[in-house]
Amino acid sequence: MNFYLKKNIEICIKLLLLFVSWKGGTCPYSQFNMSKLPPLLSFRATMATAPYNYSYIFKYIIIGDMGVGKSCLLHQFTEKKFMADCPHTIGVEFGTRIIEVSGQKIKLQIWDTAGQERFRAVTRSYYRGAAGALMVYDITRRSTYNHLSSWLTDARNLTNPNTVIILIGNKADLEAQRDVTYEEAKQFAEENGLLFLEASAKTGENVEDAFLEAAKKIYQNIQDGSLDLNAAESGVQHKPSAPQGGRLTNEPQPQREGCGC
Amino acid sequence: MSFFKWKAKSKEPERVTDAKVNRAPVSPQSLSPGVRNHHALLEAAGPSHVAISAISANMDSFARGRTAILKKQPSHMEAAHFGDLGHSSVNYQPQETRSRLSKTVDQVLQDNVALPHFMRFMELRGSDHLVHFLLEADSFRSTSWSRVRAHSLNSVKHSSLAEPVPASPDGPELQETVSHTPSAVTRNSSSEVPTDSSSMETRLSLGTPRAETPSRQAPSSRTGTPSKVQSNSTLRDLSETLIKSIEKDAVTIFTKYISPDAVRPIPITEQIRNDIVAKICGEDGMVDPNCFLNAQSVVFTILEQQHFSEFLRSHHFCKYQIEVLTSGSVFLADILFCESALFYFSEYMEKEEAMNILQFWMAADNFQNQLAAKKGQYDGQEAQNDAMILYDKYFSLQATNPLGFGDFVRMEIESNICREGGPLPDCFTTPVRQAWTTMEKVYMPGFLSSNLYYKYLSDLINSVRADEFVNVSTPGQSGPTDNDRSSSNAGEGSQTQQAAKKAAIKILKNFDEAITVDAASLDPESLYQRPYAGKMTFGKVNELGQFIREAEPEPDVKKSKGSMFSQAMKKWVQGNSDEAQEEMAWKIAKMIVNDVVYQSNTNSPIKATKL
Repeated sequence: MNFYLKKNIEICIKLLLLFVSWKGGTCPYSQFNMSKLPPLLSFRATMATAPYNYSYIFKYIIIGDMGVGKSCLLHQFTEKKFMADCPHTIGVEFGTRIIEVSGQKIKLQIWDTAGQERFRAVTRSYYRGAAGALMVYDITRRSTYNHLSSWLTDARNLTNPNTVIILIGNKADLEAQRDVTYEEAKQFAEENGLLFLEASAKTGENVEDAFLEAAKKIYQNIQDGSLDLNAAESGVQHKPSAPQGGRLTNEPQPQREGCGC
Repeated sequence: MSFFKWKAKSKEPERVTDAKVNRAPVSPQSLSPGVRNHHALLEAAGPSHVAISAISANMDSFARGRTAILKKQPSHMEAAHFGDLGHSSVNYQPQETRSRLSKTVDQVLQDNVALPHFMRFMELRGSDHLVHFLLEADSFRSTSWSRVRAHSLNSVKHSSLAEPVPASPDGPELQETVSHTPSAVTRNSSSEVPTDSSSMETRLSLGTPRAETPSRQAPSSRTGTPSKVQSNSTLRDLSETLIKSIEKDAVTIFTKYISPDAVRPIPITEQIRNDIVAKICGEDGMVDPNCFLNAQSVVFTILEQQHFSEFLRSHHFCKYQIEVLTSGSVFLADILFCESALFYFSEYMEKEEAMNILQFWMAADNFQNQLAAKKGQYDGQEAQNDAMILYDKYFSLQATNPLGFGDFVRMEIESNICREGGPLPDCFTTPVRQAWTTMEKVYMPGFLSSNLYYKYLSDLINSVRADEFVNVSTPGQSGPTDNDRSSSNAGEGSQTQQAAKKAAIKILKNFDEAITVDAASLDPESLYQRPYAGKMTFGKVNELGQFIREAEPEPDVKKSKGSMFSQAMKKWVQGNSDEAQEEMAWKIAKMIVNDVVYQSNTNSPIKATKL
């Protein structure tokens, strides 16, 4: 009896509140000033809105000759738009996006370097501590392909021994003006132990895959232990995922990638 | 930061219980420090991962709140939050280009903080004699040159004197110049002192013993003319003494490092060796203070090529970096010019939604640096195009990423860019300075007390620990590779917890409470431990008929009980929540079962007899 009485009261109050909110037109929340709430509750409210639920941050760099489309690749990946007349990069630029690999959310911090020769000295200082590197050339310009060996030397010298390097042949949509065949680039990549993809920043073809492939390889390296997660120069930040402290949310507490299921 | 203090304290009991529940496989070291932390503020120790994440959650919410408040306020108030944009900063040096965290060989050799770490590293590799040689040769060269110069100055002075000029004011000055040049690391000077002082009892002294000289100089000036005659002869003796002592030093260095039968000879060619011998035993008896220069450069190159990059990757360098970062005064330059710190700082800036400032600063700084490096030989048109790109992006009224620079700055930039002949390398100095001071005053303090910074430090500490652990446990190995490290860690996982005898490391004066890192809790191996692995069961039923779940539930299942408000209402209306009721019900059931069992036990003899 008691139980049903309580239920009734509950339903009545709910209806009342609904009525009030419909009349008032404002959310019942508005009376609670969020910043005055104790931090626990405000954290829950903000957590629902902010996309801070990634467990890793990988640092990428994009290198290659000028005009091959590095900034356009980055822009296509982060904004899903093609910049038709983007100006050339001064020094270094920055973009981020969160992707998912093997059920883990990973934030990619991508440093887009200038290709002009005059910026070479300043961009060199950003190579260090990168988990992944995208080496880009233009399939319609042979010279950009020929310079790849010097870019590769730079990358190998200045980054960690187990940095993942992926070769990207950009402007794959301009098939008519192709100057470098797929096979020879593939062979170059295989000889040097690089991943390889042809992509087009204009159409978006293979752009996401390029970043994803590199991320998968890095993640694999973490899993099998060849990349030390807790080293400061690894280019990887690992954070326990944002739903933290089992009391705050309903999700299970230890979200380690090694959990056996 | 009192808000943070309150949060930290209230988290203590939760921390301990969470530690118990979630960290069973880890050593119990993390528990007792947690309890101690509760009592002793300064003895705080051992936050587990839960605690770290709890702190970061608080930091996130705090940061969120701050920028949210910034956004709500009208724009004219935003300026107050960005500081004074550097108008009052008098100590901004546009030439700050070095981070204390990234060093070259040269800088390491001259830095008193980094040098001991480097020495220890070289000792482990068995090549510390190279460094010793470099330092000694360098000090020998500088002291010899200064002594020779001082001597020649003095001799000029004495020979041209007609009457006694009070030499005392000059004398002590000379002493001071001589005394400043032998730098801190001189073994030669200490060996010089006994030999010199014995020979200079009655002479004018020029060399190292400074305290005795003023008294000696005074009598000589008073004696006037007779001293001139005397001084000539003293000069001759003096120069002989000087020569002899310099020669002695050179020979010492030679025997220690260069001669073929030295204990630890440095690797130089025969030709260089002969060259040095020739220079030491010069024709006029004078030793050339530059005699070791060639050998020095050879050794320097060896250090740079063979050892230095390993040093930068070693845990000694990490230790040095930790020392710098926890010294209590970290400068913005240290962070912005060191790539690994910049990685964390840019993540922080992105969370603070101030990425534009950092991007602008990097782009403008790079632009100015590459222009300055050209030393005037650059294409003005090209530079102007670059500058226009920056202008369009950050300054113009239709800018894509407006930073809120005032009109005054904008007009100054316009005139700088549209200068005839192209912009000068300092064309963006004013906004760069403003961005710098904004980052320094507004964002850096937050960064230094943020979870990201703490993570950066703990990563450094971990690299130290991992490296040292390998060195300790496998003394035969040289230079652990990543594979080696992972395999040795896997094999000796249990040892890790005991071998982490590294007492808790105290860090971060920027935190309100010093958080001590219990090194055992940062064990990367715990990532791979799977407490539920291998059981292949969903759960089991206990003696009460209760189902105890052993597998983790689906992470995607969200038991949405409705909005927060309705939940609160439910609580208010219903009183107890469901779990508590269930718990009560189970307790009662258990009591009933116990009762029945007891009853049946006492009744069973009677029942048994009834057939």
